[in-house]
Amino acid sequence: MSKYILEIKKLKKYYGKSRGVEDVSLKLEKGNIYGFIGPNGAGKSTTIRTVMGLVNKTSGEIYFDGEILDTSDINTKSKIGYLPSEINLYDDMTVKGIFDYHESFYDKDISERRNELVKLLKINEDMKLEDLSLGNLKKVGIVLALMHEPELLILDEPTSGLDPIMQSTLHDILLQENKKGMTILYSSHVLSEVSSLCKDIGFIKDGVIIKEDSMENIMKDNYTYLTISSKDINKIKKDLKLEIKSENDNEVKFINNMDINELLNKLNKYKIDKLLIETISLEDLFNKYYK
Amino acid sequence: MLKREFKVNLKSFIIWTSVLIIMFIFVFSIYPFIVVDDNIKNFDEMMKVFPPEMLKAFNMDITSMNTVYGWLKSEGFMFVLLVVGFYSSFMGFNILLKEEDEKTIEYLESLPIKRSNIVTNKIIVGITYIILMVLTLSVFNYICLCLSGDFNHKQYLLLSITPIFIGLPFFAISLFISTFLRKTKKTMGISLGLVFIFYILNILSELAKDVEILKYFSIYTLADIRHVITKVSINPVCVIISILITVLFIGGTYIKYNKKELV
Repeated sequence: MSKYILEIKKLKKYYGKSRGVEDVSLKLEKGNIYGFIGPNGAGKSTTIRTVMGLVNKTSGEIYFDGEILDTSDINTKSKIGYLPSEINLYDDMTVKGIFDYHESFYDKDISERRNELVKLLKINEDMKLEDLSLGNLKKVGIVLALMHEPELLILDEPTSGLDPIMQSTLHDILLQENKKGMTILYSSHVLSEVSSLCKDIGFIKDGVIIKEDSMENIMKDNYTYLTISSKDINKIKKDLKLEIKSENDNEVKFINNMDINELLNKLNKYKIDKLLIETISLEDLFNKYYK
Repeated sequence: MLKREFKVNLKSFIIWTSVLIIMFIFVFSIYPFIVVDDNIKNFDEMMKVFPPEMLKAFNMDITSMNTVYGWLKSEGFMFVLLVVGFYSSFMGFNILLKEEDEKTIEYLESLPIKRSNIVTNKIIVGITYIILMVLTLSVFNYICLCLSGDFNHKQYLLLSITPIFIGLPFFAISLFISTFLRKTKKTMGISLGLVFIFYILNILSELAKDVEILKYFSIYTLADIRHVITKVSINPVCVIISILITVLFIGGTYIKYNKKELV
């Protein structure tokens, strides 16, 4: 038994000469909700597909509950739930048909949880899968990923195609499941989506994890907006050497990661007309990491 | 999974089996009107025009076209062999590959089932339908022959199961090749090509002694109809080779598919 349900060490995946992921290492603690954040093409889906055994890794190691992950092991697979970014199911089946089919692969009775989820997500089981909208298909995918109550739930862009109400319902369901002990890997390119949900977060860029920390630490990573209005603004700019978000006449908005006392010491020698310190938005933080 | 696979592949089985049954209904219905005394004479005269090698290639040198059973032993079974060959090959190409082509493999792979079990289920369904097609035709033609007149029952029953010995290798070879492909788009063409290449190699090997060696490169050699007609028994060498090829390529499929990147 390990502290971590999923541990990825130095994962590298190349498709011929093109890069899938270059160097991904992450640790997903049991009972955690981990936000896996990155822009399109950063390597999120490749990482997930490697974990799911759909593609073969070039190098690196993946551990599930302390053991080397063996995706051919039925017992391990039954402990994982997976929602791919693009859901492709058997078009000839009805929603009820795919749920019954899914159930047939599990030894335990999972019909009760299935019925609860169907009710929560307001799914019409009589519909044919080929007639479903993208959003409704996503809802079916969510039920399929959750109905067997997996220990590890892997969600790749789960809210794409869902309306805001359904997004909120999904988040409520995930929080409930997490309270019951389910560990969740939540991949998204929308940082604000995961901020209310995730305890830990990993940023991936060009196939490399560039930052991994708790949401709390990332938020207090000393990044603030610092707006200064002064006639000495040019001197202040030179002195602080901070990244500028916007500027207007004598007023400049900096992205600041300087210690507040150091900052005040430096500003002490200037005549300041206006000083405003604000919390940085997640989206700007996101952009900062990806510059 | 097995239940679903049988259901999904049932339609194609019904279509292809029906094609052959309709053809045989047609032949059994019109043959008595073709084979009248004057026509038989004309037919015999016409046969003399063909070179002996050509008659041999279609087993016409050892069968008489004067009866519908005679026709069945030569041309009739050629049709069956071609259709069973194509059906088996086409199914072999598509049965696994369509999961990747339609991207449903991502869902299937997320289920608690081993890849080798996915392959096993598909193989069971494929082989069952091939055997079922051959047996359905066998029973149908047997009933029709019983109604048409006298024939060698044992010889017919042995003949009627020979397509299995080409169907299974066609299925296994195509299944193996499909593990190197990503899309089902060209599989219809490849299946047709494979069937006709093997068929032509077999016919060519019968036409001239110089190219007899070609028969060792054709799956159709394994349906040794000539042996069944002349000796009223199935050539055991062909059965063994057929099973060996099938086992070999199915084994290769398991190895390759277990390592395959599926998305």
